[in-house]
Amino acid sequence: MLLKKLTEAMGPSGYENEIRNVIRSEVTLSHNHIFTDVLGNLFVQQNQDTQGPHIMIDAHMDEIGLMIVHVEENGLLRFRPIGGIDPRVLVSKPVVIGDSKHFGVIGSKPIHLQKPEERRQPLGWDQLYIDIGASSKEDALSVVQPGDVAVFATTYGEMGERAAKAKSFDDRVGCALLVETMQKEWQLRLSGVFAVQEEVGLRGATAAAYRLKPDIAIALEGTVCFDVVDAPAHNQATQLGKGPALTLQDGLTLPDRRFTEFMIATAEKYNIPWQYRRVKGGSNDYGAIQKAREGVIGGAISVPVRYIHAPAQIISLEDYQAALQLLTAILTEIQEGRWHS
Amino acid sequence: MKHVDTLIRLLEEHGGPGFEEEVAKIVESAMRTYTSKIERDTLGNLIATVEGQSSGRRPRVLLSAHMDEIALMVSLIDKGGFLRVAQTGGFDPRTLVGQEVVVHGKNKRWHGIIGSKPPHLQAPDEQKKAAPLEDLFIDLAMPEERVRSEIRVGDRVTLHRSVMPLLHHHYSGKSLDNRTSVAVILECLEALKKYHHQADVIAVASVQEEVGVRGATTVGYGQAPDVAIAIDVTFADMPGQASDFSYKIGKGPAIAKGPNIHPKVFQDLSEAAKANNIDYQLELSQGPTGTDGRAFQITREGIATGLVGIAIRYMHTSVETGSYQDIVDCGKVLAEYIAQLTWERVEDYSCY
Amino acid sequence: MKNIIKQWSEMVIPAGSEAAHLPSVLATFKDIADSTEIDRLGNGIVRKNGVGPHVALVAHIDEPGIMVNHIEENGFLRFLTIGSLEAKQLIGQHVRFTNQTRGIIGCEMKDANTSLSVDDLYIDLGVDSAEEAYHLAPIGISAVLDVPFAELGEHRLSGRALDNRAGCVAAADAFRQLADEGRQVTLVFSAQSVVGARGAKTAAFALQPDLVLVIDSAPAGDMPKAKRMDLRLGHGPALKIMDGTVITPLRVKNVLQDAAETLGINIQHEVWPGGQSDAGQIHLSQAGLMVGGLSIPTRYTGQLSQVIDVRDVESLVKWAVAAANQWKA
Repeated sequence: MLLKKLTEAMGPSGYENEIRNVIRSEVTLSHNHIFTDVLGNLFVQQNQDTQGPHIMIDAHMDEIGLMIVHVEENGLLRFRPIGGIDPRVLVSKPVVIGDSKHFGVIGSKPIHLQKPEERRQPLGWDQLYIDIGASSKEDALSVVQPGDVAVFATTYGEMGERAAKAKSFDDRVGCALLVETMQKEWQLRLSGVFAVQEEVGLRGATAAAYRLKPDIAIALEGTVCFDVVDAPAHNQATQLGKGPALTLQDGLTLPDRRFTEFMIATAEKYNIPWQYRRVKGGSNDYGAIQKAREGVIGGAISVPVRYIHAPAQIISLEDYQAALQLLTAILTEIQEGRWHS
Repeated sequence: MKHVDTLIRLLEEHGGPGFEEEVAKIVESAMRTYTSKIERDTLGNLIATVEGQSSGRRPRVLLSAHMDEIALMVSLIDKGGFLRVAQTGGFDPRTLVGQEVVVHGKNKRWHGIIGSKPPHLQAPDEQKKAAPLEDLFIDLAMPEERVRSEIRVGDRVTLHRSVMPLLHHHYSGKSLDNRTSVAVILECLEALKKYHHQADVIAVASVQEEVGVRGATTVGYGQAPDVAIAIDVTFADMPGQASDFSYKIGKGPAIAKGPNIHPKVFQDLSEAAKANNIDYQLELSQGPTGTDGRAFQITREGIATGLVGIAIRYMHTSVETGSYQDIVDCGKVLAEYIAQLTWERVEDYSCY
Repeated sequence: MKNIIKQWSEMVIPAGSEAAHLPSVLATFKDIADSTEIDRLGNGIVRKNGVGPHVALVAHIDEPGIMVNHIEENGFLRFLTIGSLEAKQLIGQHVRFTNQTRGIIGCEMKDANTSLSVDDLYIDLGVDSAEEAYHLAPIGISAVLDVPFAELGEHRLSGRALDNRAGCVAAADAFRQLADEGRQVTLVFSAQSVVGARGAKTAAFALQPDLVLVIDSAPAGDMPKAKRMDLRLGHGPALKIMDGTVITPLRVKNVLQDAAETLGINIQHEVWPGGQSDAGQIHLSQAGLMVGGLSIPTRYTGQLSQVIDVRDVESLVKWAVAAANQWKA
């Protein structure tokens, strides 16, 4: 099960070794040329000598995480975030730490011992610790070192009606789409990039786009979905189960309208559900790729993810399938010469 | 400790973002000891290349220490000839009150003092508040007319401070951030003299770091090295600072680790320190660092990036304090790293 | 010049919608340009081959606006802002879409004390159903705030998008003069500047000129209790010493100062710590480009309607031409 394998692998920004190896084993096929660059981006290429537009498809393999920065005398671990984490979601969550995957729990003062006004205050980074069961600083240091990284211990599982929960759908859902795409053999000049360090500033994609000089780029993302109770329609970034989302504008892009319309027309032609991503906040790797060198045409295809950046996230498996159909349809249309820049 | 005198000259010279010229002259003359291949680029980065020796392909290692200091800029000449200023770099305005400054006028440098209202004249609640930068002014003790003829909006202002030697080769003054790192590069080149190294060393005194690593952005692109190591100061311990922002003065350089740093460059640097019995400290970061390394890592197709530096106290004030022994040790770690570096190792930096 | 600035200020070009409007703009350079193009980010580029160092004149042509993100069942539109506009500026304003559809912005009923966000606003197109609304203004279409142009006093102009269409007019004028003189010169109407100098970044990468002169607005500070800025209307264009993106290289600053002195025109000095412009992205392009900023002192930058003095613009054109001519490779 690809989504399970990918979402359960570890890979905070800058520490993508495990997820990169998982992905590499999935795309090591005779039709793919595979290499890594100095940042650790994983490139998977097909038909680089072919005429026609060079297409870059990006999915970032890093995820948000935590870094252990200090061990207290009593063996509790202090940590800081890698990427954008709201500290309010951390209390009472289990994590796994380092290559050896030691379990730890993020604890806090029991509610009984808190004053009424304390209970209303969110806990800050200074008040949170990871407990690995160590009895002392030395005991903790025998298994964990400052600089080790941790991720949520959430496992993948299917739930509800055609939905799934896991950590890191942002952006392992994009990785899964890209893996499935590169497992196929295309008649296109195609470069798949599993990028590093999106969560700390789109850093992998910046260098990758400079290297590839693509004509067209598509970023595959897990994007913010807030269609829950109390959210008015125009504030719902995306809605679960309504298909992949196309960007109107985000924090870093006003995507090329012609390409957006090409993607919409393709979705309609193939009868694939789609929706707009309605909010302006946030961004994805296309924000960096668009401005590489002389500029790159393209956009993003996003799968709605509820509770993005939190320990347990939800996607619709229907949205995942529709996103894969849309990407396949777009590549087919380009392959058959129906995109004109 | 060959370059102590150069460091003192560097600390007492003036050069904020975009006007590093006088500092660059001192750096250039010090670099001449090691190479005659010295150039400046469009932004003013000073680039000195010491070539390596190899029959095969030589790795190119760029060492970068920014030479600009945080500074102010005249934004308005106010009534009475008092100067209002804007920031070019991040001062805490509270440290500026009562500070002696140098105003760089059209024809010469003028001495000025950042004025403050005497406590006698302040209301009780006023005394509890710190004045924001907008409320501060520089007094040149000249009539308005003369100020207007000598000073223009846009003229630069830097701190006035002589270097003070403290105990144990500690020095205090302005702009230890980051001219101590320029001294690190000089000590590195000195230590490197005894080696036949394969790598070309591109020693850079970079500009405009304090306003957003601008010099590093263009020098990284222009030089396109295989490895780029930023050298920048970090925080020394003080009561009340978090444990991972509290390094010890005199305990050797901090070597950084984190997403911004190539894991194998970190590994090689720390092994160079260990192999030569040089104390070092582990500096952790969780994202792009506030150093030239932030730009280097994502320049062009990406550059293997490292970060080292000494710990100083009171950063961004006129009494920054650090140890020359740390400078020497930091230079040695870099020299030992460079001496070991081969093209094969650099190629391995792209293998994950 | 007043009339030309009026015409340019009335173009509807919210950031991201440049490509649709540029063909008609670029067509007006047919008589003098060697080539024109619209690049991938929507920059409009006009080239003239000639002698001397390659000088580029850059003026952003985009402006802030709004973009439809949702249509309600009864035909009201919801929207996102493009660039930095605040909700309280928008209530009761008319909008004009890129397809010329018009509407007015309304606000949900709120308690007096609650803070207002753009999510509380809507656009009334004068229709009663989503279907009608969709035909007039589909999701994704952009609009600008439709504030009328007016002449004030003898020399002043007020209106929408004077920041930076006055700069575009000045850049175009300077380009024509330099092209007439046979200079190697490129004119860039940069795109997506108000959302962060996005067009300037890719245009600079592609062009790599020897000198770039960025012509843009800078806030004046000569109004009652204005934020501190030492720029006054009618006292000449401003030499950008620094803004939030750039510190002008000393060599360029000196050439600009000399050019003004030679011409005998008054210039002012711009120190704008928080300012955003195209200059920074251009300066840091590749191994670094020489860049200078020539600014039109402008009242009410960031508001829906700005005020400029046309004499500053006229002066700026002469100054830009002289500076370009003094630049040695």
